[in-house]
Amino acid sequence: MQICMEDKDGIVVCRLRSDVDINSSPDVRNYFERLTRDKKEKILIDFKDVDYVDSSGLATFVEIFKNMRTYGGKLKLMNLSNKVRGLFEITKLDKLFEIAAQEADALSSF
Amino acid sequence: MPGKMKIEIENNSHLLKEVSNGLISMLKGKNVSEEVIFDVHVGFEEALRNAMIHGNGSNPGKKVKIETEITDEWVVIIVEDEGNGFDLASLPDPTVGENLLKESGRGVYLIKHLMDEVRYEKNGRRVVMKKHFSKL
Repeated sequence: MQICMEDKDGIVVCRLRSDVDINSSPDVRNYFERLTRDKKEKILIDFKDVDYVDSSGLATFVEIFKNMRTYGGKLKLMNLSNKVRGLFEITKLDKLFEIAAQEADALSSF
Repeated sequence: MPGKMKIEIENNSHLLKEVSNGLISMLKGKNVSEEVIFDVHVGFEEALRNAMIHGNGSNPGKKVKIETEITDEWVVIIVEDEGNGFDLASLPDPTVGENLLKESGRGVYLIKHLMDEVRYEKNGRRVVMKKHFSKL
């Protein structure tokens, strides 16, 4: 799984480059574990290139959320397709995560 | 393209993707909507994942049986593992309270909500799922 990272005025923007499923979830988990170990306070995950997420992917995002919560970090998600967003809605995880439609909205609301 | 398929695969997540991709390719060739294909994709992989991880306990020596039947109106998918089964009623609702923060327990819930008909047999070792291509 390729993830491109950039810093935008203290907000770590992580752009996922492929689907988050049973095979790629461990990589995604390891990647964000490093960021949360460094206590990155603001993380924005870009789903623009993500067409598919399974329950292991959803669990991975829950874990990132929980890790960040331990030190008061703030996590946001953006650019979810309707289908992927639907999975967050079915599982009620849209109540847990802040999900922005566009990058500008996400960045300005941190 | 055969309407029916019956195979047995090893307990391996890469095979899971291979089988799933095969079914999705067949559906794409049948003029099925992207939304329905997505639902079947998630439902099928969650059933396979449950069978391999929870049913077969990630044991590489165990197998998963898969049957599919595709018509012009619907697809039926059957997934069976070699585990001891489970009690569906004992599964907590993953959308309630602190369960929202749990890292497991969403697979069965997703299957229930994405597929049109879901039935567990053989004490939960076998799941039979049906998805219609048009809205009911």
